[in-house]
Formats: sequence, structure tokens, C-alpha cells
Amino acid sequence: MRIGYPRILMAMVLALSHLLFVITVERAVAETYDFKIDEFESKPFEWSGYAEVKYEHLNLDKESAFYGLNFYNDPRDTLNRSTGTMQLELGYKKGLAAFNTVLNARAAVDDLGGSDRADVFEAKLSLKPTPSVTVDLGKKVFKWGKGYAWNPVGFINRPKDPNNPEDSLEGYLGVGIDLIKSFSGPLQTLALTAVLLPVWTDVNGDFGKKDHVNFAAKLYLLYRDTDIDLMAFVGDSRSTRFGIDFSRNLATNFEIHAEYAYLTDLEQKYLTEAGLVATRRRSVSQYLLGLRYLTKNDITTIFEYYHNGAGFTKSELDRFYELVDDANQQFITTGSDNFFQSARTISRMGYSAPQAGRNYLYLKISQKEPFDILYFTPGIIGIFNIDDASYSLSPEMLYTGFTNWEIRVRYTYLGGSRFTEFKEKQNQHKAELRVRFFF
Amino acid sequence: MISNKSVRSHLMVFVVLLTAVLFLSAPASALDGNAILLEVDRNLQPEAYEMYRKLINIEPNGTKKEYVLYTVKKGQDKMVALFLSPASEKGRATLRLGDNMWLYIPNVGKPIRITSLQSVVGGVFNNSDILRLDYGAEYNAVILEDKEDSYVLECKAKTATVAYDRLKMVVDKKTMVPVTIECFAASGMLIKTLYYKNIKKFGDNLMRPSVLETDSPLYKGYKSVMLYAKINTKKLADEVFTLNYLPRVNELR
Repeated sequence: MRIGYPRILMAMVLALSHLLFVITVERAVAETYDFKIDEFESKPFEWSGYAEVKYEHLNLDKESAFYGLNFYNDPRDTLNRSTGTMQLELGYKKGLAAFNTVLNARAAVDDLGGSDRADVFEAKLSLKPTPSVTVDLGKKVFKWGKGYAWNPVGFINRPKDPNNPEDSLEGYLGVGIDLIKSFSGPLQTLALTAVLLPVWTDVNGDFGKKDHVNFAAKLYLLYRDTDIDLMAFVGDSRSTRFGIDFSRNLATNFEIHAEYAYLTDLEQKYLTEAGLVATRRRSVSQYLLGLRYLTKNDITTIFEYYHNGAGFTKSELDRFYELVDDANQQFITTGSDNFFQSARTISRMGYSAPQAGRNYLYLKISQKEPFDILYFTPGIIGIFNIDDASYSLSPEMLYTGFTNWEIRVRYTYLGGSRFTEFKEKQNQHKAELRVRFFF
Repeated sequence: MISNKSVRSHLMVFVVLLTAVLFLSAPASALDGNAILLEVDRNLQPEAYEMYRKLINIEPNGTKKEYVLYTVKKGQDKMVALFLSPASEKGRATLRLGDNMWLYIPNVGKPIRITSLQSVVGGVFNNSDILRLDYGAEYNAVILEDKEDSYVLECKAKTATVAYDRLKMVVDKKTMVPVTIECFAASGMLIKTLYYKNIKKFGDNLMRPSVLETDSPLYKGYKSVMLYAKINTKKLADEVFTLNYLPRVNELR
């Protein structure tokens, strides 16, 4: 749905400025202990949300494949982008029923123009006859899997951005049931989640092949202090797939997790050695091994290895980058963009996906409140393509000291040699400032 | 040579002293360290309850940040805390089942395992302070000192997974609730001191401190405070204390 983005952006900026002023004044007021419980009593209708302003400055890499694809007819050195986002969460509960919805609207303006859209991320009616049973009808976000950056077993998840794995995502429409049973003994919890997910032209149309009703199920066990999930997906919108994951604390400060998924009969288009587009069908494995470790001085390390069996090999990615290189040569010498048009179409077959390759490492190191600076968390995120030795490095600083405000500054550097995944992205550097206000 | 009279008088003094010692030490022998800890637990919180708490982190310059939590607990090792305020934390929920702890963040959409030494709120309180189980569930206690108006208990963690290896707890004899608790690491380093204050009446005949303050040599000048309100016994199904239920904890209120 299109809306007037300059007005939305202006309104957001004004609202944030006003709120920042109010917060600053509040902080100067004298402090006393006071707990008025009445204002926190449960109400049938509740709402909350956030407003966000983000500014990004990209230094474009004119030698890269995706720069060529995106800017061959509009050359430039930099790209500046401002984005405003508003998310509203509404909830109403009465008796055994509850209705919850998440609405998200965003508008972006960059050097090339603007865009805006508004989506219903979530809208579901939940019926809860007992604490053990919940029936959900409507649009719901699924986040299956134990991995932080990737979830091979997330059969009905939206793919998340490993650089921002905690960002909100849009859900899928469906009908689900959740059954829970607790026990005493080595098996403490058993829970079954089952979901019917239809795919029609106007319902979950981007999930897969249309006019099918799919079924996904997850069985969760807390067994001997270990979280274990078994998953399955059957239906004709996507191929049948099975998965398992687990998570366990080996010590109070050391957690390990893993996921394994087997995807049957996966259909994929790819570039052959002859430079032609072909389709292949195969069954593949995807898996992830990860850990989370906390040191005595509050440094958290998250480390994950991800094998993407459905990804392209290094030579398959090379072929795509060579195709774009040929397109660039053709454009320079003849002025024709025929190859660029073909390369754009092929890029949408998976070559432009965030992690299109086979093997990756993810590393995030962050320290909470170093040097006794409360609410300050500096960190660094690294994503490495093991097969072609390219990488993305993002140092960042997060400050949450102003109540309901979150300020994040991040810089990203993409490195590697020519014809490698991260080096062929459109930019080499990116600086980002994100300010979020929660209400 | 000692006369019979002298022996009798010495014997009499000995018997009187022994009687006095036995009489005076009767409470201590009747209540060993673990029994005192058990009584402290029951006086601080019912076995299954709901409560509201406000956490305040105070910086050296006086700036403060506040959090409000709704908490439910059942038995010795099941506990859930839901953030009601501020808006940036609203909807976050933490679950503790024995040594296992998880954090649910609405945007993340799935629970992640966290550790007892981390802090979901920053400041001096860590996760084990916020999701504190019964002291008796995690510690064995012996009486270090039996003073006129208080017991001093030495509490040793039952397992290595407990956040603090050792506690030195001063318990008020009249109310049988803690006054101060010093928390030590296995190395012997003092991690923090907890101060229970302002005893008041809550529901269900519960008389307990309504304020818990803490400071730490690791956070010089910083202070964190926990205010308690509305502690009520509540019947809760075991299924409430599961990962699948975490997104719905608000519906218990």
C-alpha cells in the first residue's frame, strides 16, 4: 500500500525530536522511590510500538558485480538513504480469547528516489481453553530453530538478515494449534505445534507454489535440561523437509546449539559451465553448529558455522560474476545492456540472496557495559564465506541509557578478492545510524 | 586434697552452667542453618504466587532507569518474569526451570538460553537476582553466629551452577527474614551486598521486606533497588512454565 513517504518521515522526525526533549527534561527531575501498582494493572486493550529513523551512507564499489547491475546506467560514488519506520502492536483480550496484531509502515528516501509500504506483520485470534491448549487463527510469525544468524530448520520462517537477526519480520496466514504437557522427571516438557498454511494468489503468495495447503509440525522436548525440536514440512508449495535441533547449557556461561535439515527434491535454477540457465532437482542437507559464551567481564561471543546445501558452489557464483563482468564490457564497448538485463533476471534466481554460497562462519563479540558505562554495548559482527574467503565486518555501538530510546551506530566493511561474494556486493563501506523510540 | 563440699559446689556450678548453656543454645539446636533458611524462604514468598516488582538502577550522578516486572513462581524451581515497563522492554519474558534460563524477546520471536550471571536489565542485579529461587533450593546453610537479635548464616552453593558460590546472610530473629546478604564468588571475592528493608504486610498474612537494595564493589557508585508489591498466592499449571507459554504470560494477569 503506497502512502506519502515525505510526510511520514517528517512527522516521525518531529515526534522523535519532541520526545527526546521530554526525556531530557525528565532526567533532570529529582529521584524518589515510588511504585504505583495501579498503572500496571492488566487491561483488556493494550498497545505499544516503536518509531525508528535510520540513516545509511554507502561508499559504492564501482568494480563490483552488484554495482554494475544496479548502477550501470546511473554511475555514482556514494548512496545516502534515510528510512523511517513505525511499528504498532495492538492487543485485546477477553476471557479465553485474545487478538493481537502488529502493523508496520516504513518509508525510504535515497539519492535515486523514494519508496514506502505498510504491512500487517501479524494479526491473529488466539483461543486458550486451558494453559495446555492454544488455537491460533490468522497471520503469525514463526521463528523455528536455535541458530542466532541462520535457521536451516525454519521451514515456515521468513529468512532473517544475519546482520540484524532481531528485526521484526512478517508472518504467514494459517491455522495452528499448540499443545503443552509438563512432567516431573528427565522429560520436563513435551509440546506439539501444528500449522496449516495455505498458499493462494492473495494468501501467502510469496511462500511457494500456489493453490496448495501445506502442513508443518514441530515437537519440542525439554529432556535432561536439553531443548530438542523435531520438525517436518509436507505440502506442494515447497518440497518435503525434515529437521532436528537442540540447545543446551554446558555451563552457566556456555551454551551450545545445532540444527540439521534435510530438504528433499529441491528445485533450483543455476548457471551451467556453458553459461546457460538450467534446472536441477536434488535433496540437500543444511546444518548449523553454534555456541554462546559469556566471560567474567561480560563479553558475549556467539559463533556459528552454517552449511547451506542449497547454496551455490564457488564456481557457480564465479560464473555469475563473470557474466556480469561480460555485461559490463559489452555496455562499455557497445552501449548495449542486453547482458545486464539477462544478468538481472538470473540474479533473482538466488544469486542475489544474502548468503548465496555454501559454507559460512558467523561471529559476534559484544561487551556489556565496559568501563562501568551503564547501558553501553560495543560489539563487532563478522560473517565469512569460507569457500571464497570473502567477509563482512561490522563494528557497532549500542546505547540504551535514555529510557525507551535505543541508539545504534554501525560501520560495515566488505572484503575479499575479485569474484568473491562479499567483494561483489554493491558497496565496500557502509556507515549507519539508527535511532529507535519505543512507546 | 579437695573436700567433698568443694567437689559438690564445683559440680553444682558445672550443672548450672551446663543447664544455662543448653537452655540458651536451645533455639540454635532446634533450628539448624537449613531450617532457618527454609523459614526465611517461606517468610519471603509463598510456594506458588504472583507479584509485581519495580527495579531501579541508579547511576552515581543520580540518573535512574526503572523496570516493572510481573512474576509468577511455583514450587522450588519454576519461575517466570514478564517486563511490563519501560516500553522498550515490554513483552520480554524470562523463564527459569532449575538451572535452565531462557529469555523471550517479542521481536526475536523465540526463546534463547541465557545465563544466571548475565543481566537482562543492566545495573547491579543479574538474572539470578531477578529470577531468584528459594535460597534453600540452592544453598546449604550453617549458623556462623547466634547473636541476640540475629543469626549469621554461612550458605554454600549446592552446585557449581548457582550464581554465587557463598552467601553470608544475617537473619533477623524477630521476623525471620534476611537483613543483609553478602554474595561471594568461589575465589572469595565479594560480588555484591543485598539489603532487605521496610517490612510491610502483603496479602495472605505475608509480612516481609518491601525493598531490596544492592551495591557492588564491581560497580562503584552504582546502586540497584527492587520494590515489591502485590504478592498473592496463585494456583498455576505446570504448563505455564514452558517455552511455548512464554509469549502468553501476560494473559495470566
